[in-house]
Amino acid sequence: MRRRVVITGMGAITPLGHNVRETIEAQLQGQNGVGPIESFDASRFPTKFAAQVKDFDLARFIPNCQRWAHSGINSQFAAAAAQEALQHAGLLHDDRVDRNRFGVYLGSGEGIQDFHNLLSWIYQAYRRETRQLDTAVFERGALSVFHPERESEQELHTTPAHLAAHFDLRGPNYNCLTACAASSQAVGEATELIRHGDADLMLVGGAHSMIHPFGVTGFNLLTALSTRNDAPEKASRPFDLHRDGFVLGEGAAMLVLEELEHAKRRGADILAEVTGYGSTADAFRVTDSHPDGRGAIACMEAALKDSRLNLSDIGYINAHGTSTKVNDSVETLAIKKVFGDLAYRIPVSSTKSMMGHLIAAAGAMELITCVEVLRRGVMPPTINYETPDPECDLDYIPRTAREKRVQHALSNSFGFGGQNIALIVSRFAG
Amino acid sequence: MSASPRRAVITGIGIISPIGLDAASYWRSLLEGRSGIRPIQAFDASGLPVRIAGEIPHFNAKDYLEKEQRKSLRVMARTIQLAVAGAQRALDDGKVDKSKLDPTRFGVEFGAGLIATELNDLIEAACVSANCQPGRVDLEKWGEQGIPLIQPLWMLKYLPNMLACHISILHDARGPNNSITESDVASLLALGEAYRILLRDQADFFLVGGAESKINPLSMVRQCLFECLSRRNDEPTRACRPFDRGRDGLVLGEGAGVFVVEDLEHARRRGAHIYAEIVGFGAAFDPGMRGDGLARAIRAALTEAGIEPHEVDHINALGLSTPESDAWEARGLHEIFGDCSPPVPVFAAKSYIGNLGAGGSTTELAASVLAMSKGLVPPTLNYEQADPDCPVVVLSQQPRPMTRPYVVKVSFTQMGQCAAMVVRQWN
Repeated sequence: MRRRVVITGMGAITPLGHNVRETIEAQLQGQNGVGPIESFDASRFPTKFAAQVKDFDLARFIPNCQRWAHSGINSQFAAAAAQEALQHAGLLHDDRVDRNRFGVYLGSGEGIQDFHNLLSWIYQAYRRETRQLDTAVFERGALSVFHPERESEQELHTTPAHLAAHFDLRGPNYNCLTACAASSQAVGEATELIRHGDADLMLVGGAHSMIHPFGVTGFNLLTALSTRNDAPEKASRPFDLHRDGFVLGEGAAMLVLEELEHAKRRGADILAEVTGYGSTADAFRVTDSHPDGRGAIACMEAALKDSRLNLSDIGYINAHGTSTKVNDSVETLAIKKVFGDLAYRIPVSSTKSMMGHLIAAAGAMELITCVEVLRRGVMPPTINYETPDPECDLDYIPRTAREKRVQHALSNSFGFGGQNIALIVSRFAG
Repeated sequence: MSASPRRAVITGIGIISPIGLDAASYWRSLLEGRSGIRPIQAFDASGLPVRIAGEIPHFNAKDYLEKEQRKSLRVMARTIQLAVAGAQRALDDGKVDKSKLDPTRFGVEFGAGLIATELNDLIEAACVSANCQPGRVDLEKWGEQGIPLIQPLWMLKYLPNMLACHISILHDARGPNNSITESDVASLLALGEAYRILLRDQADFFLVGGAESKINPLSMVRQCLFECLSRRNDEPTRACRPFDRGRDGLVLGEGAGVFVVEDLEHARRRGAHIYAEIVGFGAAFDPGMRGDGLARAIRAALTEAGIEPHEVDHINALGLSTPESDAWEARGLHEIFGDCSPPVPVFAAKSYIGNLGAGGSTTELAASVLAMSKGLVPPTLNYEQADPDCPVVVLSQQPRPMTRPYVVKVSFTQMGQCAAMVVRQWN
């Protein structure tokens, strides 16, 4: 029999709150975390709003936080969320657990580039006469203004390394970055590491912020973001007929995964069990998901097979639900293909309607939402869902939360470029 | 530990490197002791303190794609192009008939790093918005006039998951797909993960590897700031000298190392040539660069393989060529192999090609996989004077026959993430 994996701790820093409780309570009240961009002047950008984490100061979470002095905000979010998750699991300073068997698997994003100095030296190194960049001028200029530690902290392996070093987690250490599927994939592969016996405990999750000039520029160029600048709080409207793109969010979400017997032995509070994981690729286009949802279908089917559950066991689906035209209709199509007529009886909601899209960190946060649905018996709504789209005809829990006792919940995450991840969490039944 | 009747074998090798653009030419250069480290030609590097690298002089990604696929090169940074080319070479080398593969059982796992933007992509936008005061962009001008001057798919050209994405699209690989972004250990973690996925029966066939190029002005500036590069600008071929007492820093290289890895029965059914079998994998975190974390990763891999240290022919080292890293690595290796008699020697492929970053581990491992099939291990270059801080025996001077059937590949990052893999010679 394979080893079973349970969740014994959770932490979150999101546009709706500085911990899991605040975030979930805000979700259940249908609160909106979207507002004008405050971290830089976006007044002339095509999109001028986002869902931002408010008043964040890492020192309030980790008093001795010098390690992150030059880190990007992504890494700082990760630290605060990890602190909460480990504390919740009772594992911050537990000498009884073997830290060599405690690893980290994140799906975490990059740090933030030195936008101003980079652009400034590109400009200064450009020679109009030759229409060429004098790279030697750029090199000398950039060397004189770039900050070595801040440059080094942009690298993708720094976030999981800091967590491992600070919290003394000496097991396997990974970071994957599969766009918007990243932290879900991290949860899935870490589950497999525990099942296989590589570790007994894994800190998993993701952290990301792309609310900076390059990030907004990149997504605006792809015309992926909503441009509803006259009503930002209405902009993220998954499955609604008038949706026009996603809203950038930021933050971090972390979970402690633990082998079941290990959790029982130390008397841990078991929040839920990870029962299903599926991973596929669309293999279609870098810009669009497959129109028939073939990768999305295959990953949900793979997760269901892995969980050994029946279709009728799934009581709630937390959708990827980005609020883009294509995602929401293709995801709806895929859910109907997988669940058949049952699809109309399974409530589906997108919490991106309230907190925006946390990109690499989105999947882990949405899994935490699923765990809380199992625990509280209340499902968060899809806010701003006002006008039905004929192509999106499922029960999206419009506008207000709904009570339901759910035994098993499914969470979808689909990455830009075609990586699809589905996870299933179940009430722990002993 | 779960036992599995399935076995994972390596059946194709794709190499794009400073010393050869396929596995055969890579192997020839290794045997001939030919270094790929040279003065940087790709751009004017005269503003940098370091002007040497393992550059690939004549790489043209078009050579690796069908005509109708070539338009996608516009949205691929050089790193992605190297990966795509390496994947094609791996399929060629493995004599894979793609029409016979089940797309849903065909996975892709790649190691990837941060990909720097090409400066040229941003010139026009910079010129309309960064021209007012030094060090500041006028964000109003950037938003209004700058953004429309950048090509619409700009961001996609630099996303680290695009190596695996493009490869999945080009070859219709719809199985598990992951991009591990863990610096120098990335492609070994990717290979380990693919190995596990094959054993747990969630795929039958994988393209696995890594690729990276930091030989561009922005990445080179950043690397120079980190102050760990060799300054031997005047003698490039002697600059990368793993474990040698005179080492003074790492040398950057570029390239891709890609394997076809598949389930043994799948390989047999399609009549594939088998190079080697993956038999063990382990990963760990090493706080404080003590070496014990690296040793734990190696021990886990040996345990899974069910072998003792003395059964290993050689260790395929990280061999970064910085004073601290090589000493740290040697301490970890010594903890496991220190009692072996005769000693288990070390080979470091970086001495030929430099540090390929996220593409390094698989490209380096390919040298040992080729060595296993040829029965001969190439020498490490530039190992001239032993360093008392590095208690390892380094294979140098000339090729040496393989005497034992296992190779251990180790890799790690400078922040402490470690991995090790045991690969077995195929008979």
